[in-house]
Amino acid sequence: MIMIIDDDKGWLDYYRNLLKNFDIELFRDGVAAIQRMDKEVPKLILLDILLTGPTGFSILSEMQSYPELANIPIFVVSSVDLSATSLQKYGVKEIFNKSTMLPQNLLARVREYLNA
Amino acid sequence: MEREVFGVDSGTITVAHELKAPLSLMRQLALSIELEQDKEKISYTADRIVATSERALKQVNDLVKVARLSDGLFEMEPVNPRRICDEVVSELWELFRFNRREVISEYRNREKLVVANHDLLYSVIYNFCLNAMNYSGEETPSEIFINNTKNGIRISVRDYGPCIPTSIWREIRQYGASRPLSTAMRPGSSGLGLYIASRFIEFMNGRFGLIRHRDGTSFFVDLPISKQLSFI
Repeated sequence: MIMIIDDDKGWLDYYRNLLKNFDIELFRDGVAAIQRMDKEVPKLILLDILLTGPTGFSILSEMQSYPELANIPIFVVSSVDLSATSLQKYGVKEIFNKSTMLPQNLLARVREYLNA
Repeated sequence: MEREVFGVDSGTITVAHELKAPLSLMRQLALSIELEQDKEKISYTADRIVATSERALKQVNDLVKVARLSDGLFEMEPVNPRRICDEVVSELWELFRFNRREVISEYRNREKLVVANHDLLYSVIYNFCLNAMNYSGEETPSEIFINNTKNGIRISVRDYGPCIPTSIWREIRQYGASRPLSTAMRPGSSGLGLYIASRFIEFMNGRFGLIRHRDGTSFFVDLPISKQLSFI
């Protein structure tokens, strides 16, 4: 299962369509997403950073405190310019900027990580 | 405390962020059309681009109106709130359907006119309804109510979404939505639509407020009734 966490409904609809051939679950807030991880550990997480409530950074920190969640590959997809090196320690494998990314690149990387 | 970055206040940053989101989404949707072969999906995506751009344009137009409230462009006159609510429902019906949502209206007042500006009141109700659509589920409709109050009428729009945090509720009760709430009120919300609505309501000498329910929120505007008889 791919878990997608973004508080913008428009973006969730976009992911639903783009990743329609994958098993995905959509979340608008980090609390519900973390609770869901108790029941099923996702194979990949697409995470926005500027979220309401706990931010993406809080979710990343929280996940690091659980051994079973610490190694899940995470793609950060955000409109904020972020440095890859500062996020690597949280298990972030890729950073996509919402303003400049290409959907085919995102799709290709998702396929690559799920097949790895 | 208001945070400033190189002379740009936090409200401006919130507005810029709010408008950046639909622009980047429209770009992604347009690019994703290239990957799609199913004509129905392409048509759906094109509709989404149009809907996203229309919402962003409406927000920009409303922001321009906020900046021009003092220019004397918006006259106060007796208007029929039921008719305006019906106009909003009629315009938004397709968007609600598109998002698999429903909006219903229930008018419990005698048909009275209120003193307001038609365009501004329309924008207020439109913003309330969009907000409600965003937070209501497929099973729970958004509801527009018109009720009599002691000195006027109350138009409220109720949703069944997540509750607004208590701190934000208190702030709005005390000060109104006097600025875009960059702390974000609920998922996906900067409070910009409510800020716009509250400016319009203030201009019309109305009262803006909200009620927290256990299962959602109602945003309302109280307006004074017009003494002019309704011929409608």
